[in-house]
Amino acid sequence: MQRTILRDLLVLLGVFGLIWLVFSLFSYPEDPQLLSIHKEEKLGEVYVDLILLNPMFEEFENRQVSSAVKVIGDRLEEGLEDSEYNYRFVVFNSPMINAFTVPGGNILISTGLIGFCDSPEELAAVIAHEMGHVEERHVVSRLLKELGIEILTSGDQYVIGEVSGLLTSTSFDRKQEAAADLFAAKLLESTSIEPRTLATFFRKLEEEMDNELMQHFEIISTHPNFRSRIREALSFKSAKDFKADPIDLDWELIRAEL
Amino acid sequence: MDYHPLPQPDQIETRIKEDAMGAYFMMFATAAMGLPLPILNLVAAIIYYYVNRDKGKFVQFHTLQSLYSQIPVTLLNSGLVVWTIVNFVRDLDFTGFYWGYLVMVATANLVYFIFSIVGAVRARKGFFYYFLFFGKLAYHQVYRIRPERDQSTLKNRPPGP
Repeated sequence: MQRTILRDLLVLLGVFGLIWLVFSLFSYPEDPQLLSIHKEEKLGEVYVDLILLNPMFEEFENRQVSSAVKVIGDRLEEGLEDSEYNYRFVVFNSPMINAFTVPGGNILISTGLIGFCDSPEELAAVIAHEMGHVEERHVVSRLLKELGIEILTSGDQYVIGEVSGLLTSTSFDRKQEAAADLFAAKLLESTSIEPRTLATFFRKLEEEMDNELMQHFEIISTHPNFRSRIREALSFKSAKDFKADPIDLDWELIRAEL
Repeated sequence: MDYHPLPQPDQIETRIKEDAMGAYFMMFATAAMGLPLPILNLVAAIIYYYVNRDKGKFVQFHTLQSLYSQIPVTLLNSGLVVWTIVNFVRDLDFTGFYWGYLVMVATANLVYFIFSIVGAVRARKGFFYYFLFFGKLAYHQVYRIRPERDQSTLKNRPPGP
């Protein structure tokens, strides 16, 4: 009898253990590993092209502004030696204060945001934050969670159009924003840009929280907890030998081009 | 190992059958109370067992089977409550393991619920109904012949040699 009791116990443990295991593996559809970086980059190219066709996100073609953004981007990329992404920065013409990430390492920045930044370091802080979302694959996770891998990779033109629309207004959760903030602070420090510039920029955003031009900016999607993010960014401890090296750009000249 | 003979349905009084059925229906009475704190279900089941265990082996078997099967379900439910609270308080991810656990706990509750209903109906009719593992465990516990204990409870004994 004792032997059959023990056998029954093992059967029970096995069945329920298996249920746990199987559903753990099958109930995690937002795992970004489902989409390779190569595929993500291919999808990203299509999305960017579609977004730029929208008159609200028309590409702003100005050599000086584009090269200034590239200088900032290149400086940040120096701190990302292990990155698998080839970053592309696109400036679009819009009074909205906005920047967002499109899969495949594409970061879209509005002329409104460039005008809002008082220094190239502030723009670098925003771009570093967006790079955090890219490197941590937050956009892919979000899309996989909302749409699933089959729809995302279906290649259907209608779906691609809808996804492009979603990307321009993607918001992240508190944890993802915190991770991107921390990533940005570390990246800024490693590229000799004052990491607490992020806090300065957040404080400016907080003052303008009611500004309608900011309503689609994903960086403020955790609005009620913005104070704690400012506190976190301010309390970031740089290395003792950290020395800020300002980005060599005539910012007022760049802003005059907008 | 020897076991006491099992009573047949016509040998069991209706009152005893109802008490045995009550062991399974206990959980319905305590379900609402046990939702925020699953451990309350278990406390109620233990009290029921101690109150009814002197009513004979048939009642004892069913109450013990109900109690034993409730222990893992309670622990699983408590684990889920704690895991959920910790995730919210510490702002942690609801990972695949959490969702898998949730499905497993839901399945365990469903199975427990169905088996308890069947157990209650069978007990009311005076039948034995054995849950996987818990049924045999309760049967072994209640019906095993333990000479030392069974002898000691006898007040009247035959005359010595």
